[in-house]
Amino acid sequence: MIEVRDVTRQFGALAALSHASFTVEPGEIVALLGPNGAGKTTASRIIGGILAPSDGDVLVDGISVRADANAVRARCGFVTDQPSLYERMPLRRYLGFFARLYEVSDPDDRALELAKVLGLDDVLDTRLGAFSRGMRQKVAIARALVHDPPVLLLDEPATALDPEMAKTLRSFIVSLRARHRAILLTTHDLDEAQRIADRVVVLYRGRVVRVGATNEIRAVGQPRYTVTFAGDAAMALSALAKAGVRGEPAGASDGLLALRFATDDPRTTNTAVLRSLLDADIRVVTLAAEERSLEEAYMAILADVRT
Amino acid sequence: MKWWLIAWREIRWEVFLDRASLLRMSIFIVIPMLFIFSNRRIPLGTGGDLTLVALAAQSVFFPALSGVALIAATFTAEKENGTLVPLLAAPIRDFDIVLGKLVGMVVPVMLTCAVTLAAAYALASFRYGAPRVASALGPEVLYAILVLAFLYLITTGSITMIVAARVRSSRAAQQVAGLVIALSVFVLGGLGFVASQVAEGWPLVAVGALLVLFDLVALEIARRVWQRGEVIARI
Ligand SMILES: Nc1ncnc2c1ncn2[C@@H]1O[C@H](COP(=O)(O)OP(=O)(O)OP(=O)(O)O)[C@@H](O)[C@H]1O
Ligand SMILES: [Mg+2]
Repeated sequence: MIEVRDVTRQFGALAALSHASFTVEPGEIVALLGPNGAGKTTASRIIGGILAPSDGDVLVDGISVRADANAVRARCGFVTDQPSLYERMPLRRYLGFFARLYEVSDPDDRALELAKVLGLDDVLDTRLGAFSRGMRQKVAIARALVHDPPVLLLDEPATALDPEMAKTLRSFIVSLRARHRAILLTTHDLDEAQRIADRVVVLYRGRVVRVGATNEIRAVGQPRYTVTFAGDAAMALSALAKAGVRGEPAGASDGLLALRFATDDPRTTNTAVLRSLLDADIRVVTLAAEERSLEEAYMAILADVRT
Repeated sequence: MKWWLIAWREIRWEVFLDRASLLRMSIFIVIPMLFIFSNRRIPLGTGGDLTLVALAAQSVFFPALSGVALIAATFTAEKENGTLVPLLAAPIRDFDIVLGKLVGMVVPVMLTCAVTLAAAYALASFRYGAPRVASALGPEVLYAILVLAFLYLITTGSITMIVAARVRSSRAAQQVAGLVIALSVFVLGGLGFVASQVAEGWPLVAVGALLVLFDLVALEIARRVWQRGEVIARI
């Protein structure tokens, strides 16, 4: 649905984006990650047809943003990194105005409907200037959805939302994915990205340094497992050795000890490890996969590109 | 017709709700009225007629000056507040934004101009006698003045908008607006002087033709310079 093809954007001498390429398919959430100033906002602005690329092209639904920017704009819903609303207008009029710009067939009904979805229906006639930061953010989201676009470009949509609302927004985004929307989610919240993103694009100084499925990016190296137990550490270590793996201490808490081991074949190894531990009279409490969080993976990627 | 949506939003929710722009407009309305008050006696003959025409013209062009400041303010305010970004993201032509902003300024200002002209006419009739004023300010003169004001607004409005799209801060845009206003006063004053010497309808027609020419050039430049993909790069 979104196809970014070798896009470069210069601001004077600075290349805010340089030879970036990635895609977002319908029914997919792609998280756009990267440090401040990496070019994330620039990328989503170029995709949304707001900023012209210096070089390269973006296709949205097969339409080139260079050839027909308005057709691309009509297919994109854009949540800007700052809500930026017309402060003097009441919510109802504000959403109605944008619904008309996007040629929605029943603009006033649509405004009402969106306000209800986002829980803003009791402030329909309040001036936007009187809204709190989180409410403004919701209005910006409603504005982006006004024409029910197939592509959503969300630039840090959850900033300033309370945890409950952030969660609601998350499930809302997931429900849009179920309706085959292509969603590009720019965020600094790696926890959020880990939860809902199918794939991840990491930008660093305008370059795409990593693209991949979220799980793939998290699982780098040999899968690792931790076993927690009550019993003797030395005996447990030798039991692990009997099962053919090398254990290393992974801390202790609440009178329980923990050992960590790595294996490429958890089906066979983990069964053997468990059996061997039970044979040695060790009381196993848990045996769990140790996963790298997206945050750890992200930090590793950045550390890698910086060297 | 999306330019009309933008223009109407501007008129309904910005111009008449903004204290600063209302204050500015009312100052520009009061000044020409003071001129009429300060003028004691209007002599008979062409000289007096011209003075009356000049007073009427002032009563229209002073409020028209506020249009330049108005368009500079609204445009740069949108850039600074970031409200321009959602507008740029909408599927509308660049020209819709330019025209919408222009019409959103021209309509309320022309309205003010017409009201001021009517007020000036009434005030002058009261001070100098209705027949005297009616003989100098026939309907065609009044129309001519309003049409000139209209052309003047489009010209200065598009020039100011070109500049506003290019500069970053509203302070810079206000300075440019000030410059445009000063230049206009200078040029209009000069033309008024020429008109008082020639004393025929010709100068007005010449000014009109000149302004139409300016309009075409300015709108064409506005259309070319105003590249949307670059406007945001200057925020
Ligand atoms: N209009 C502009 N003029 C000049 N430079 C710009 C402009 N917009 C962005 N840049 C520069 O381009 C680079 C990328 O900016 P961008 O806003 O895309 O970063 P980002 O990844 O969104 O950062 P953040 O996480 O802080 O939102 C930055 O170095 C920024 O200074
Ligand atoms: Mg950003």
